[in-house]
Amino acid sequence: MELLSALSLGELALSFSRVPLFPVFDLSYFIVSILYLKYEPGAVELSRRHPMASWLCAMLHCFGSYILADLLLGEPLIDYFSNNSSVLLASAVWYLIFFCPLDLFYKCVCFLPVKLIFVAMKEVVRVRKIAVGIHHAHHHYHHGWFVMIATGWVKGSGVALMSNFEQLLRGVWKPETNEILHMSFPTKASLYGAILFTLQQTRWLPVSKASLIFIFTMFMVSCKVFLTATHSHSSPFDVLEGYICPVLFGTSWGGDHHHDNHGGSHGGGGPGSPHSALPAKSKEELSEGSRKKKTKKAD
Amino acid sequence: MDSPWDELTLAFSRTSMFPFFDIAHYLVSVMALKRQPGAAAVARKNPFSSWFTAMLHCFGGGILSCVLLAEPPLRFLANNTNILLASSIWYITFFCPCDLVSQGYSFLPVQLLAAGMKEVTRTWKIVGGVKHANSYYKNSWIVMIAIGWARGAGGSIITNFEQLVKGGWKPEADEWLKMSYPAKVTLLGSIIFTFQHTKYLAVSRHNLMFLYTMFLVVTKITMMITETATVLFAPLEDTLGRMLFGWQQQFSSCEKKSETKSSFNGTGSSTSKPIAVASDTVKKKHTKKTE
Repeated sequence: MELLSALSLGELALSFSRVPLFPVFDLSYFIVSILYLKYEPGAVELSRRHPMASWLCAMLHCFGSYILADLLLGEPLIDYFSNNSSVLLASAVWYLIFFCPLDLFYKCVCFLPVKLIFVAMKEVVRVRKIAVGIHHAHHHYHHGWFVMIATGWVKGSGVALMSNFEQLLRGVWKPETNEILHMSFPTKASLYGAILFTLQQTRWLPVSKASLIFIFTMFMVSCKVFLTATHSHSSPFDVLEGYICPVLFGTSWGGDHHHDNHGGSHGGGGPGSPHSALPAKSKEELSEGSRKKKTKKAD
Repeated sequence: MDSPWDELTLAFSRTSMFPFFDIAHYLVSVMALKRQPGAAAVARKNPFSSWFTAMLHCFGGGILSCVLLAEPPLRFLANNTNILLASSIWYITFFCPCDLVSQGYSFLPVQLLAAGMKEVTRTWKIVGGVKHANSYYKNSWIVMIAIGWARGAGGSIITNFEQLVKGGWKPEADEWLKMSYPAKVTLLGSIIFTFQHTKYLAVSRHNLMFLYTMFLVVTKITMMITETATVLFAPLEDTLGRMLFGWQQQFSSCEKKSETKSSFNGTGSSTSKPIAVASDTVKKKHTKKTE
């Protein structure tokens, strides 16, 4: 009986890992990615004034992971654009989201249950991309663990890692904000996922790839759907990090955290902050807000 | 029947770019560099940096296409003769005694000739890019368009990026987002040649090259003589934009918000005339930079 259930679970995982991504899952990936682009401040205005730049941005949001991975592995950056159908699909989604009459498409997509479905499907694509990226890097470098981790991470986190460049396309140049400095949940999760898949690929983790894909997808889908549904910007790793980081990186982590919580008078160094608690508080709120915005991008 | 025409276009399409047209291209590019404020001072203080910038101006499109196709970006350095030619042009433009070259160049017919010849090289570059991309990806016309475009007009992107790295340029400037006239016309050409290459357009290549080059040269020279900044595409763009992107409704909403923005859209309404004129001059300057 147990054997049977194990078998069926294994089969389920196997068939799950073989579901073709192209039309449906990719479509939801494009929709969610471009939705996040539309959330960015100034994106709508940009699309009205410079449709071409907006289109390029949308393409980066959809295919950023491929472009970055190609750059790292020395393959043609433009490689993915040879998939005419994907590019056309993404362009159609871009057009509908930004220019649909009455904003109808956008409103439909933003309806929370619909959006949750799309977000869940996007996570499926993300996990699959991590797995494919690690397989690809393994093909190039058989023992290059770090290459595999890096490729998987880049494939998973997508445009978030090249957000500076993407902002540059929109005419915003803020080198001081950086995804690596404020890692959002998907970026972190992609990193951990890349490590797991690398361990699996190098046979350190005694699990079949299909079941790892299945388990990790379930984890990502449940986390992301929960986060999106509750509009929460915390990450499930926060608790874990709170325990591990003081051990690994000493007290400086705790100190930083302390500063962050109780007014940024040292970190910010603003002129008004030492005088009263009020400006400090407002500054804290401000930084909180910017972080929230950052997380909301949450690619 | 039309064999003389065919012979003419065929001969034209087989013209070698190497000495004269390339010289014109380098001359126009380097003169555009020299017109930028502070370029001459940089050349005296730091000649190598200036030389490198000049090379980027001359070979930028090729570099961009190499980056996109994962070829060595420094491949342009392998072409010794072209590098030497461009370097010598850079040298005589910046360090000629009495600034003779600049003075000669400021004579309008010379400028017209050089600009016209430069436009000819643009066609050749687009065709080369489309062919090259087709050798990599057989069926993907998006890649072909992109590479043709990068070859023809990618120099401005590379040079902007170089300025950004140097810190001398702010991306808030509208020019980065607003496509310049050469960029638009190159995109158009790239699309046309891609369609020709994939046999969707039943015209032979040499005819198309001839016609497109004539179009480029004539528009460029008219623009330079009349000193209008290109509003060749403006009516077309306007209608297309209204159809596709609903600019109409956005205009009204923008005008409600602020008038400066509406002038940036190029409405050129009577209420915001001075600003429109100012933006026009900016555009002119940009077009004069030529690519």
